[in-house]
Amino acid sequence: MEGRPTEDASLVERAKHGDEHAYAELVTRYQALAARTAYVITGSDEEAEDAAQEGFVKAYYALDRFRPGAPFRPWLLRIVANEAINRRKAAGRRPTVGLSVVEDRPSGDTALSPEGAALASERRTLVLDALRKMKEEDRLVIAYRYFFDLSEAEMADALGVARGTVKSRLSRALGRLRALMDEVPRND
Amino acid sequence: MTEPMREDELEATLRDIGGHLDYPRPVAMASAVNARLRAPRRRAWRFALAPALATVATLALAITLALPDARAAAQEFLHLRGIDIFPVPSIPATLPPPKITFPGERMTLAEARARIRFVPVLPSDPDLGAPDDVYVETIGTSDRLTLVYRQRSGIPISPEAGVAAVVVEVRGTVDENLLLGKATSPGTTVDPVNVSGARGYWIEGAPHLFFYRDANGNATQDTMRLAGNTLVWERGDVTLRLEAHVSKDQALRLGASFR
Repeated sequence: MEGRPTEDASLVERAKHGDEHAYAELVTRYQALAARTAYVITGSDEEAEDAAQEGFVKAYYALDRFRPGAPFRPWLLRIVANEAINRRKAAGRRPTVGLSVVEDRPSGDTALSPEGAALASERRTLVLDALRKMKEEDRLVIAYRYFFDLSEAEMADALGVARGTVKSRLSRALGRLRALMDEVPRND
Repeated sequence: MTEPMREDELEATLRDIGGHLDYPRPVAMASAVNARLRAPRRRAWRFALAPALATVATLALAITLALPDARAAAQEFLHLRGIDIFPVPSIPATLPPPKITFPGERMTLAEARARIRFVPVLPSDPDLGAPDDVYVETIGTSDRLTLVYRQRSGIPISPEAGVAAVVVEVRGTVDENLLLGKATSPGTTVDPVNVSGARGYWIEGAPHLFFYRDANGNATQDTMRLAGNTLVWERGDVTLRLEAHVSKDQALRLGASFR
């Protein structure tokens, strides 16, 4: 994705010393990913944007404690995700979030047959329903892996866990996703 | 959908959802973030002043360290474990809210005691008394305790920060090379002082960057929140930094009251 670690490091270093253009560049570079991460948690465009913005502000003030040489992207995501989770909890969490998909946008590079497209759409609906009911933390793990393609190392940093824990986190989240999918979606 | 999806099908579907999610439209946040950082009630001073201050601080420390006495003092200083106090420039006011934000999570003192992994040191001097705001920030295995004193009689309120004094307590060591490589400013002086039996340093002339190694030995840079005079000293295994716009005598009296 947007990762350009070496440039990031130099931008972070400049931002630390008060170069606002450098920080603006980092914001521009990661705003979409930050907003998307927050959206996966909040399920709301507006809240996601607020959380991402607040995350950038908090990250700026935390730059002093950013370890030189560490990757910026997962560090930022961790701050943004925490912000989004806290906001959602503070607002009194609803049981489900409003994640939605755009059905008419083709994804992937191979055209599907009409049957294939119908099946894919059906599966999306099923899985998406389950995703909406998941705990934020579980949804986030899945999103980091399958939506944003973070590496295991980045996931560990972004989640604040040991690298060896990432796989089990992901596998537990997938297990819970399946359990939710098995609940027949008739009562809501 | 009667058959359960295979693992690869589930993964493919998740990727597919990722590709179809109705994400927020890409928004240009840089200017909004910038505005937040510049807003007067936030830490506008930092963006505006940080580059100049950093330069000034670095030059001053370099100059200070070039002097043998100051160098020795700085080296001693470097071996302090790590607390921060911040002086504040003045302007009387009717208890305005802080204009800057402080790192970490805001909580009660009792919560902070339960959270941090060292015993906090607090002032008994009634001029300071109990802090108005307490923040705890955990970075890895290190904890940083920030005590904020918004308004105190006899201590001017910082026009930039909107508070009277800040005390920062951390565990860690000040690294000589880091400090020698980076830190003070022209016009900054460092005097060794005795704070109720403990060695400390009185830094005058608005140092702005503070370099030390955290408990894990990681190089850490901290920005002084209230540009002004600073008293740094040790109390037990805690290093304290007090920033406030007070005289040296006043700072020493306040510092000596930390138990």
